[in-house]
Amino acid sequence: MKKIHIVLLVVIAIAIAGLLTLTKDITTYDSIESAKRKEGKYVHLIAKLDRSSPVVYDPVKDPNYLSFYAVDSLGARARVVYRNSKPTELEHSDRVVLKGQMNGEVFECKEILLKCPSKYKDDPNQQFKEFEKPVATADSTKTY
Amino acid sequence: MQYEGEHLFIGQLGHFFVLLSFVASILATYAYFKAAQTELSPETAGWLKMGRLAFGIQVFTIIAVFVVLYLIIYNHYFEYKYAYQHSKRSLDMQYLLSCFWEGQEGSFMLWTFWQSVLGLVVIRTAKQWESRVMTVVSLSQIFLTSFLIGIYFFDIRIGTGPFVLMRNEFPDAPVLQDPNYLFKYLTDGKGLNILLQNYWMVIHPPVLFLGFASSLIPFAYIVAGLWKRDHQSWTKPALSWSLFNGGILGLGIMMGAAWAYESLTFGGYWAWDPVENASLVPWMLMVAGIHTLLIYRSTGHSLKATYLFIPSGYLFVLYSTFLTRTGVLGDTSVHSFTGEGSTLYWHLILMMLSFLAVAVVAYWRERKNIPVIRKEESMNSREFWMFVGSLLFFVSAAYIIILTSLPFFNKILGTQWAIGQDVEYVYNRVMILVIIVISILTAITQYFKYKDTTRKYLWSNLLIPTVITLILSALVSFLGGFNYDKYGAGFLAAIHLAMWAGIYALIANGTYIFKVLKGNLKMAGASITHLGFALMVIGILISSSKKELISINNTGIAISGLTDVKGKAENPAENVTLIHGVPTPMGKYVVTYEGDSAVTKNDRVYFKINFKTGDTTAKKEDFNIYPNAFLVKGDEGMNLSSNPGARHYLTRDVFVYITSWLNPNAQAADTSAFRNTWVKKGDTVFYSKGYVLVDNVITANKNDNKDLPVVDSAWLSELKVISQDGRRYDATPAYFVKDRQPSVKVDTVYTQNLVLNINAVRGEEIELGIRESNAVMRYITLKAYGFPYINVLWAGTIIMVIGFFLSMYRRLKEKRG
Repeated sequence: MKKIHIVLLVVIAIAIAGLLTLTKDITTYDSIESAKRKEGKYVHLIAKLDRSSPVVYDPVKDPNYLSFYAVDSLGARARVVYRNSKPTELEHSDRVVLKGQMNGEVFECKEILLKCPSKYKDDPNQQFKEFEKPVATADSTKTY
Repeated sequence: MQYEGEHLFIGQLGHFFVLLSFVASILATYAYFKAAQTELSPETAGWLKMGRLAFGIQVFTIIAVFVVLYLIIYNHYFEYKYAYQHSKRSLDMQYLLSCFWEGQEGSFMLWTFWQSVLGLVVIRTAKQWESRVMTVVSLSQIFLTSFLIGIYFFDIRIGTGPFVLMRNEFPDAPVLQDPNYLFKYLTDGKGLNILLQNYWMVIHPPVLFLGFASSLIPFAYIVAGLWKRDHQSWTKPALSWSLFNGGILGLGIMMGAAWAYESLTFGGYWAWDPVENASLVPWMLMVAGIHTLLIYRSTGHSLKATYLFIPSGYLFVLYSTFLTRTGVLGDTSVHSFTGEGSTLYWHLILMMLSFLAVAVVAYWRERKNIPVIRKEESMNSREFWMFVGSLLFFVSAAYIIILTSLPFFNKILGTQWAIGQDVEYVYNRVMILVIIVISILTAITQYFKYKDTTRKYLWSNLLIPTVITLILSALVSFLGGFNYDKYGAGFLAAIHLAMWAGIYALIANGTYIFKVLKGNLKMAGASITHLGFALMVIGILISSSKKELISINNTGIAISGLTDVKGKAENPAENVTLIHGVPTPMGKYVVTYEGDSAVTKNDRVYFKINFKTGDTTAKKEDFNIYPNAFLVKGDEGMNLSSNPGARHYLTRDVFVYITSWLNPNAQAADTSAFRNTWVKKGDTVFYSKGYVLVDNVITANKNDNKDLPVVDSAWLSELKVISQDGRRYDATPAYFVKDRQPSVKVDTVYTQNLVLNINAVRGEEIELGIRESNAVMRYITLKAYGFPYINVLWAGTIIMVIGFFLSMYRRLKEKRG
């Protein structure tokens, strides 16, 4: 066998070992219910901000404490605590991906990814609703 | 119906140019293909001429399309969707170009434009290779322009035209059917994404797309070589092109990193985000390919590897476009672009498969005739170690792209996998090992000669750099203060090893330039590239492992039950709230929020944050940082989109961004009321975050105190406010009576949100009013980081790119000579 083949085998072996060690880092996307069943395990939740409950964030009291409720597409609901500053577009978001783990009834979130609708692209009709209150006239809105 | 104020001609002209461009590239492909097939026959010249003409028309039309779209954006013709969607009247001039890159159509235009320019260079320089290389280039142009044509083929729209009208795109919107819609409704555009309103975003996309475009040319040369059954003479031009690609793509990627560093709020230049990975992988493949191509040219080995690596570079450029543009990445990327629908998805798959087929078929036809050297490389040869390095680069590129593609695999296989808790570490722990090996190879490999090297030659040259490295490494390890222990001793050891390896690469390449090449910089392209690479490695290691969080907030609530990967207690919280005008200690600094600008016409606010070191610190610092933020109108009030500010030193950056701001204008009326309690000296009153101690109450009146000239009588209080975290503040509200009219002196303790007054008096007793309010405050919440030696990374990048171009220049000279 050529030396280069040995090198190849070694590299491939390392690559496979590398990918195998990954298995413990691979997690899954879950619903709130299935995350509750895996309490303490790190998961990704795909959910929505529950707008019927208040978003608690008071930077004067504690800039590293955010709490809100999330609902998923199956209708389950959970309180989410995020020990960091409030992502500024949270209320504006359409979907959120929450990375963290269930801790009792509370989802301890380590990272939030927001999916904000570019209203325009996702729902053009929504977009034009704001036009239907015709407050704007050509003169008043022109800014140069 | 007649619509008022529309400019329809310019859009029709633009659309005509797009179609002409598409047709011209089909024609160019066909003509060049025929020229290649009829090579050496009398017909060739005619076909070549036709190919050049068609390609020339294609170049002209794509430039015309650019100009037309620019005019539409510049003149604010909001009847066009592109202008409406991506621009706005108040947009600064310098960002008009960024509007192009924001949309998918503009990006494809830019890409097509660069491939056109490179095609012209090929026509001028390729000589015998022109017909074949240009067939591939023109084929790619057919695909790229087809993304822009936006015509219906049965019920499927192919591509998205940049010149579509709003009212045609949204036929169901009644407001757009109003003949006066342009004056009534579409008076202004949606504007440019604020993240793109940054000077890096004006230059980063063109450079990156030039990188993408230039990876096509080496691909085309390889296909041409296989097609012509010539395995030698394509290598010269392909090597120069690959070096150009390595330099430009590397530069483009690092400009993106600089943009992320300066305008994104990750607090870093690299986050292993899918969009970043997708452009890094083609670069790594190309670098692997450059090395195997060099081996082939010097020894005849590694040709098959080259046929794998270099074409993969372009195929992965296409794949990365697919990943980032079709929305497949969906939930995983911070800046994944919105999906543009399933047509684009299949369109890009078709393009990828076509080019894969081109490469595979070209190879398959020639597979039996590819020259292979049976004799084995010696362990003492340069080619052996170069090949090991290339292979490692290739495998690490595969590792990165497999992980990045997880969302795509999920889509195909219906699985739900995701990378878990610590995405960056999943990459870092593998890449640091790769970096150690690659850096050592970078250090020693040039000291080997091709074919065989004597031990004596090797050691006599490697001895000095090795000794210097050992000394420097020991110094760095003992005095450098590397103690990044988030991931335990193993990772820290890897950081030390990587530092040594980086230093070795730096010193060894530096000595090589002076000792072996005798300082002949013209020949030193490779060494300079490697030296720059070594600096980048060192810069990355220092700035990442010694990145310091300045805004440590220990006053927050302790977090129970949460531990990080290695089971250590959670990091201290990262955000600190600053009250206007109140100096707050933060690390070695005392930080004050001194003020903010008015909101500008672009809805941007600038903040002034002062940093001062304490008097005890030896090196005094006192500077201001001006982070800024855009106010974005959301459904429920204004959202803040932050833009970091930084103080740059030669050896470190202090980096700040605003995570939350209470906009005083938008503030709700203060509804809190005073809570009154009768107290006397020595009493205490509690409030929500501590208590107030009445230290003293002094009463005075005109009769017995001549120092009271203005008022008749006074009640002066001396209060101590003691908060939960043990801080103490003084407050002195007072109560005066003059001519039987009482007046009150209110005092405030900003940091505690307190307003204190004396409401009434009764002998020695006072009625103390305490109000806890949000409205008294102006505050911001921020994060601050220190990045040491980030400039080493930027300097390394520049040196590496210069190295690539020096090598390319040398190869071009060689060709002429």
